[in-house]
Amino acid sequence: MLSFMPLLYAKATVIAWLLLPFLAAFLAAVLPPLARWLALFCCLATAAVAVAIQLGSLPVNVELLGAYGVALKTDAFAVPFLLLNALVCSAVVIDSWKRPLPGPFLLLLMVLHGGLSSAFVVMDLISLYVTLEVVGISAFLLILISRSDRSLWVALRYLLIGNTVMTLFLIGAALVYLERGSFRFEAVAGTTSIAALALLLVGLLMKSGLFLSGLWLPVTHAEAPAEVSALLSGVVVTAGIAPLLRLSCGVPALGPVITGIGLASAVLGLVFALADADAKRLLAWSTLSQMGLVALSPVAGGFYALSHGTAKAVLFLVARRFPGRALQGWRERPLPAGVWWPLCIGSLSIVGLPPLAGFAAKADLSGVLSLPLEVAVTLVSMGTAAVYARFWGAPLLRRTVPVVGLSSGGEAPEPAWSLGVILLVLALVVMGSATLPWTASPFSAVAKSALVLLGGWGLHTLVEGLRLPEKLRLPDLEGLSDLLGGIGVVGAGLLLILNR
Amino acid sequence: MAPFRLLELLILGAVLAGFAGLLLRRNLFLKVLSMDVIGSAVVALFVLVGARSGLRSPILSAAANAPAAAATAWADPIPQAVILTAIVIGLSIQALLLVVITRLSRIDPGLDLASFDTGGQR
Repeated sequence: MLSFMPLLYAKATVIAWLLLPFLAAFLAAVLPPLARWLALFCCLATAAVAVAIQLGSLPVNVELLGAYGVALKTDAFAVPFLLLNALVCSAVVIDSWKRPLPGPFLLLLMVLHGGLSSAFVVMDLISLYVTLEVVGISAFLLILISRSDRSLWVALRYLLIGNTVMTLFLIGAALVYLERGSFRFEAVAGTTSIAALALLLVGLLMKSGLFLSGLWLPVTHAEAPAEVSALLSGVVVTAGIAPLLRLSCGVPALGPVITGIGLASAVLGLVFALADADAKRLLAWSTLSQMGLVALSPVAGGFYALSHGTAKAVLFLVARRFPGRALQGWRERPLPAGVWWPLCIGSLSIVGLPPLAGFAAKADLSGVLSLPLEVAVTLVSMGTAAVYARFWGAPLLRRTVPVVGLSSGGEAPEPAWSLGVILLVLALVVMGSATLPWTASPFSAVAKSALVLLGGWGLHTLVEGLRLPEKLRLPDLEGLSDLLGGIGVVGAGLLLILNR
Repeated sequence: MAPFRLLELLILGAVLAGFAGLLLRRNLFLKVLSMDVIGSAVVALFVLVGARSGLRSPILSAAANAPAAAATAWADPIPQAVILTAIVIGLSIQALLLVVITRLSRIDPGLDLASFDTGGQR
């Protein structure tokens, strides 16, 4: 009796933690003044669970309701994703602490947070389907929160495509069940049905914004309000990539396919980011590119997603206070210190400068890849540096000029520094410096990152010198028919490749 | 096994028809309707998967004696239970999309794709 008591408690803890955001959202609807504290409490709970998992005080496998029930896996793989979820959601809550928020924002944030936490620990296809749909619906409502005509269309597009691919995902799940009699991820490993694998992948690739299935991402992430973009680009895309990496661990046939798609996605996002003239769209294309790098390795992908998501959330949160979205003439417009520094640190982290988290993530990734892939990743990193170099070089606004005119009401002027952004920047620095001593061969890694930065700057001046962004007329692939066609092409391509 | 294959093929046809409608229709409302066609096909697929071992609902009545129960061809309850959740989710998404379409119809009552879809341009 006594021996299984701790296990019972641990199970109860996990269930309580997964239920908490949904109960809190319900409570917040009844007691709106408590909403911010409740949201923050949910994020803290998630962070605490992540730490508990890392320390080994929670069981790795949690089985609910027996063999046909739900299996959860609270293992080390989920830790970075859970931490990312807690960090980004709490930063968004803190960032908007003093501002009045449109009605259901915090409620939706809590539902989104709960759905994401579940998506990182579930181990069967149906629970994954349900959590991804919860995430999709709450993200859809969050995009709608600005209530502009444009956001109506963008949100409709997002949900229409998301639901279509998730329906295809369900067909894949049914085919797996037909063959193996189970919906667990282990059953997917044993399946011989190529169609099932292709359909499951189509769903997960779209949700993680990879390659042609991810073409919906730039418009959606760029048109949403800044807080929502931070959530979408920071964590929501990882809801697809975490299960994708879990599956690719278990199914050997998928490994090379996902690597190929990841690399293609990294290059595609990079080219479009280099050519884009809009700051928020550049950030969104870069998300597509970075997600490709996350998909390269299930081992290092988690920490890479954590460092990228944190940095990207910083960038999108300060994007709200950019003087304008056009990158043309970026160098002439001065930025206040509260934007300039986070912008610099966030982008340098994604590029991979030493004391920041991005450096450790890139070193981790290089450590587990084969040589040709490592070279490819280094080249992509150089391109990434060229992309972000377009943000550097704006002058720093020395004194704070009180903003007059726009907020004519009795609103307090916005503080120069947002606490939420500071939290994320601190997280980047702390994670980076804490993992620095464990980097394999630190000197060569530092030298490599310096070279990448230099090469990136060179590429940037070259691209700007040739006035490439204006000359490079890339095809517009973001119409609804292009997105649906892209999904069809990816599905057919997967069938062909897996059939070999 | 032949009827099972035939029904499977019919479902596949419905999925493809839905996807074709999603791609080819210019009207947003019809696009959402095509999405629902795929959804219905998936429901049918799960019902079919559940029915492959038998049609009787696996509910034991008190009167049934054990040997007879073992010999009956029971339906598989798990796909049926699973698809209930998916039906509810599909319905709610359908409702949300229709609400948004109602709002969009104020901009263009014809709901033509071209009046909303500007691709990457703002």
